Amino acid sequence: MMSEVRFHGRGGQGVVTTSKILANAFARTGQFGASFPMFGFERRGAPVTAFGRFSDRPVREKTQIYNPNILVVLDPSQKDSSTVFAGLLPGGMLLLNDKENSGDIRHDNLRKLAVVNASGIAMEEIGLPIPNTVVVGAFAKMSGLLDINPVVEALADYFSGKKLAANEICAKRGFDEVRIVEL
Amino acid sequence: MAEKKQGRLTKVLDYLKHDDPFSKGVAFCPGCGLELLLRFIPRVLGNDIVITGTPSCSAPVLLGQNNQSWHTLSYFGTLMTGAAANATGLVRYYRKAGIDNTVVCFNGDGTANDIGFGNLSGAAERNEPFIYICYDNEGYMNTGIQKSGTTPFGATTTTTPYGSVHKGKNLRRMNLGLKMAMNKIPYTATATLSDLEDLAKKLLKAKEAKERGFCFLHVFAPCPTGWGADPADTIEICRRAVKTNYFPLWEAENGRIRMTKTVKKPKSVNTYTELMKKFHHMTEADMKVLQDDVEYEYCLLGGLSVLEAECQLPVSVKDQGDAS
Amino acid sequence: MNTTTAPSRIKVITGNAAAAIGAKLARPDVVAAYPITPQTEVIEQISTFHASGEMDCELITVEGENSAMNAVMAASLAGGRVFTASSSWGLVFMYDAVLAVAGARAPVVMVNVNRETPGIIAVSSGQQDMISTRDAGWIFLIAEDCQEVLDLVLQAYRLAEDHDIQLPVMVHYDGFFLSYLSEGVDIPEQETVDRFLSVLDDQPRRTALTPGQKLGVGSHGILGGYMELRHKHVTAMERSKDKFEEIDKEFAGIFGRPYGGQLEEYRTDDADIVLVGSGSMCGTIKSVIDDQREKGMRIGLVKIRMYRPFPHQALVAALKGKKGVGVVDRSLAFGFEGGPIYTELKAFETRLDGTQLISFIDGIANTDITKTNVEKMIQMTRDLADGKDVPEVTWVSYPEANTKGEK
Repeated sequence: MMSEVRFHGRGGQGVVTTSKILANAFARTGQFGASFPMFGFERRGAPVTAFGRFSDRPVREKTQIYNPNILVVLDPSQKDSSTVFAGLLPGGMLLLNDKENSGDIRHDNLRKLAVVNASGIAMEEIGLPIPNTVVVGAFAKMSGLLDINPVVEALADYFSGKKLAANEICAKRGFDEVRIVEL
Repeated sequence: MAEKKQGRLTKVLDYLKHDDPFSKGVAFCPGCGLELLLRFIPRVLGNDIVITGTPSCSAPVLLGQNNQSWHTLSYFGTLMTGAAANATGLVRYYRKAGIDNTVVCFNGDGTANDIGFGNLSGAAERNEPFIYICYDNEGYMNTGIQKSGTTPFGATTTTTPYGSVHKGKNLRRMNLGLKMAMNKIPYTATATLSDLEDLAKKLLKAKEAKERGFCFLHVFAPCPTGWGADPADTIEICRRAVKTNYFPLWEAENGRIRMTKTVKKPKSVNTYTELMKKFHHMTEADMKVLQDDVEYEYCLLGGLSVLEAECQLPVSVKDQGDAS
Repeated sequence: MNTTTAPSRIKVITGNAAAAIGAKLARPDVVAAYPITPQTEVIEQISTFHASGEMDCELITVEGENSAMNAVMAASLAGGRVFTASSSWGLVFMYDAVLAVAGARAPVVMVNVNRETPGIIAVSSGQQDMISTRDAGWIFLIAEDCQEVLDLVLQAYRLAEDHDIQLPVMVHYDGFFLSYLSEGVDIPEQETVDRFLSVLDDQPRRTALTPGQKLGVGSHGILGGYMELRHKHVTAMERSKDKFEEIDKEFAGIFGRPYGGQLEEYRTDDADIVLVGSGSMCGTIKSVIDDQREKGMRIGLVKIRMYRPFPHQALVAALKGKKGVGVVDRSLAFGFEGGPIYTELKAFETRLDGTQLISFIDGIANTDITKTNVEKMIQMTRDLADGKDVPEVTWVSYPEANTKGEK
């Protein structure tokens, strides 16, 4: 079974790293992950898109994702964007980084909405509003595809020392504090 | 007088410690300044140098023709576009493999100043441990006398010919030696063929300085064929180039310039240009431009050397590290 | 299944990182580095390895790609093992030296990250850079995924430096789709790589330019012996086909990953229609093939791994007797009726025993070779095999280009 996940955010929020950490986490469970950023010019503040395919079998497709079944949105301002929702498959899930519980998000194909105050948690734990390490923990819980352990372990490939410890807490809090609503 | 001359000659001969690895009857023009320089270098530096060369006037001799070589040196024949990068590759591998070497990257002004300048600059920036020798005959001679960046103001070449509208090169030359000194490399120097002892000393200084990094020698080497001069005048042309300050002799260690020969009463540049047909069309106004240019460059050079003597330089500038 | 299993050697890395690690494992003496999108991470990784001492090489941070190739050419001819990396504009900026390297038979190994050219700010993949340099006289190998990038770099050294071959090798992989793709790669142990390459140590040492020897390089081209050299270049390229097959088998034996040599044939045995492709598109094609097979379609893929020398013997053997073959080109050729690789294969059409060929052009100009596109290509190839009227060349993502062909 393969999940096709599209990640949206803005430059500087760690969108691409989110997709990499998850690919890494899946690999640690003996499953497979393949992620890459959408090509284009990247600047702080400009919209960024990344793709991730996660599966229990080797992933061979090497195209962008046009019909995701999971959306991960790191920037609250994008929650109403039609670009973000383009191609979402029926039964789709959305994980959103937002302070408020945006219960008013609706889309015909959206069945599960997960919201986590990732920027807020990140500010508390690492002192920067970079939501990605919270988001990866929330993703594990929301998707049900991963335990928290492989996600936390994957972080060691991207951080070390005190930063690693702080980001591990971010992931765990993301896992624990994400609020999931079935629509 | 004859003894004085003999004494000076002996001094030069003292530097020629090694055999001439070039055969006789090589395919250079009569009076070619390049030939004298090319034979001189391995006699001073040794026959175990690795010399790189490009398509140029040196190519028929350095790179050989048919299946035969005109010399017994180890050489690397390559394109003008990457000569300094090739030499870089050699010295980096030799360093890795612990092979002692003196690599001489031997190029004309066209390669050094124009098409190959980018990688010359790169090699200097990285302080690569080899000796880059530019023989400056002020043009692309092998292809039939076209202008290069070092061609002086007013000179006629096939791409700056004399016509009714345009009369010779209308741009002042670039000063390659000074440009390279500005890179603060361990050793930069100018030299020419009328002052062979000076040239020999500078070659040896470069060989030693190369242990600390990049060395650049700018050698004025007349081309009688291309300049419209009598082949018998090659050395006299060099002598007058020095005496008029058209081509001053200096050296720079880590960019600190020092004159190696100061001409007390420089002659006007006319005494130099009169030996070559390429300048004979020039008007008085043209000659003034050329004279001004010569004086400007000398002023710059002189100023820099005086400034250096007066400056208190911080200690850290004195030594420059290896290329990493 | 969702939790951590026993640790393995698999690391999730990008294609660029895989190239850098492949180079590191090969232990080059001299590496030249100059950045260009989408290759930059390759040289950044190598620089990090160098700075930490993990790589014991001379790293030359050149001022331009032309110097990169010139530097490694000289270091190679001096006897060293070398590496560099580039892409599109950088590749063609070093093109004079690329030709010189081939002429000098210097066993240089480099990776070229395919980037769409000539649109200066096109930032996507495309093979035009490879096509523009296809007959420079280098061996060209193409990778499908990040694992193959690493593996091909290792195989490239084994091939380039083989005493019987001595030809430069360029490993191509798609920019963006592979360069930036993070996926699991089995990173071999250094010892194993050393063993794989140690075969070269047992061979005679090639001639190297050393100080004090009366040796020179670079004068070939004047009259005597030059024709012989040129012919030898061609025959060496021809020999590299079988040598590459051998190396693939050796590699499989040591690392456990067989690739098939010049070509990988995926489900072609009983296929009556086949797509021919190269690079990252092959992963997508394989996935669609599996879907179609479940629906009963007898479809296979021939993936070109060795593009130069052109593996015509292997292609003919693989495609002979198939009913329909669709060749996917990620680049253009001018003045022909189809893409470049299609046109090259067409030269051997008469040996295919009636197999029909059509050309697909896709994945250029910032487009993606999507699963939908692949399904379309398969359908058209099916139609071709069934005797229906199908155009000879189809621009899959650009319907405006398609007119009815003469088929």
